[in-house]
Amino acid sequence: MDEKFDCIIVGGGIAGLSAAMILARANVRFLLIERGEFCGAKNVSGGVLWGRDLARLVPEYHEEDGFERFVNHRRLTFMDAQSAFTIDFKSSHFDAPPYSGVTVLRARFDAWLAEKVQAAIDASDVADESFLATNILVEEVLMEDGRAVGIRAGEEKFYADVVLLAEGVNNLLTRQVGLQADYVPADYVAVGVKEVIGFDRNVLEDRFQLRGRSGLTNEFVGYASGGVEGGGFLYTNTESVSLGLVLGMKDLREKGRKPYDLLNEFKAHPVVADMIRGGEVLEYSAHVVSVGDLRGMPREVYADGVLIAGEAAGLLLNAGRAIQGMDYAMRSGILAAETVIAARERGDFSAATLKNYRTALENSYVMKDLRTFQDAVHLLHSPMMFGPVPELICDFGRQFFTVDSAPTPRAGQMLRAAIKRHASYWDLIKLGIKAARAL
Amino acid sequence: MQKLSISERLGLVNYRNQGRSQATPHILVDTSICNSVCPHKCTTYVCPANCYTLDDEGHVHFQFEDCIECGTCLYACDQGAVTWRFPDPETGRGVNWSLG
Repeated sequence: MDEKFDCIIVGGGIAGLSAAMILARANVRFLLIERGEFCGAKNVSGGVLWGRDLARLVPEYHEEDGFERFVNHRRLTFMDAQSAFTIDFKSSHFDAPPYSGVTVLRARFDAWLAEKVQAAIDASDVADESFLATNILVEEVLMEDGRAVGIRAGEEKFYADVVLLAEGVNNLLTRQVGLQADYVPADYVAVGVKEVIGFDRNVLEDRFQLRGRSGLTNEFVGYASGGVEGGGFLYTNTESVSLGLVLGMKDLREKGRKPYDLLNEFKAHPVVADMIRGGEVLEYSAHVVSVGDLRGMPREVYADGVLIAGEAAGLLLNAGRAIQGMDYAMRSGILAAETVIAARERGDFSAATLKNYRTALENSYVMKDLRTFQDAVHLLHSPMMFGPVPELICDFGRQFFTVDSAPTPRAGQMLRAAIKRHASYWDLIKLGIKAARAL
Repeated sequence: MQKLSISERLGLVNYRNQGRSQATPHILVDTSICNSVCPHKCTTYVCPANCYTLDDEGHVHFQFEDCIECGTCLYACDQGAVTWRFPDPETGRGVNWSLG
């Protein structure tokens, strides 16, 4: 193909498709290349897409079946081997669209979003000149005089004014163009393992107090990850739950544990076992996930003729409130596309112009949150948070909720006793100071 | 709720070119590094698809067929033994998620 596109997008995940949607609406000619058989075929996520940007891309999304359930019920559970102490929040405040969070299964959601992008292409002035191409692996970013000019897939070369890399966390092309070192250390990534467990819809809705399309998210810390840095999650889908663990890669290596064994132990915990009883495992999946440490991110998110969006840029954050990544992918894809549109109007795709993407990202909630909560990221990865803290909370809970026909100590006494058994006051004071700074 | 073995779990995964015996590997592992200098041989336990195994003599073996392209070995191996690529859609095996 001799013709040149305005933009080539590598990767048909959320970042790439969000960018494509904005480009299609602006009548920009682009080629989106996805290596899977369809958009989503290669993608795995824990499963919650937060934020309201989806309503910006597909205003009628809540009437459609792209997502699984909207989130109006959230739980954070601290675990020891036998107990679970849960903070539980449910509110009808979250019942109306646009929802603040929806659960998704990526092979379905991304394919659905791709259909919406195709519809936007069809409705654009350049319907015959923009394409979503699947089943093609991009092997190389073509460079001329130090700037990206296109891509190579097998023997075929495609050219464009700008290449948007939305290739996901295993960002081989980002490394190839020199924006990230060839080897990214294990410190900056985790591995997620997940089972999608199917249920009869009525059973699921009764068990998790769901109504219509309402959904529950539950994160777990402590015993869930078997002493390895990380935590667990359970998210309700339409007729299944996504149950999994996210495990710090370096700690997993040091502790010598197998992720799928840890997943079995998590499933066997009495509290989790009661939640998934009678379910049938439909799919097992796994994927590397970045941990949101700024030190693990690419050096820059742009260069001459190239932009990086989504998890390829390391845009993911778990600050304890929510695991956010797909919303960042969506927003960064939108901002990258807007940068491309502005660069096209100016006729300049050099780093000097594409730098505006960095500025836009910095001014968005994406980089603001990532910077604000760096200390929280480090705190959550400290051994106290996945060992002693959940244990002492469960210990306190067990004392507090025990009624055994004997004189009962005051709650304060119970708490002090629990602290003594699992940590020291000094440890907790240090943790408290860190937490106060982090949050 | 049943606990699944890793082979039962992988039995639930769909792959491209599943029937093809001559699929091209997308990951190359220099197991001579694993078997000489590596102090931890961590790929044999961190890989979520159990593509890396130890034999009775403690030697590392790699087979790519069950690979689900998660990328774990790309980061876990700090000895330079793993050359990691994405599978070629035509000749590679490659995972095909139905739910994801």
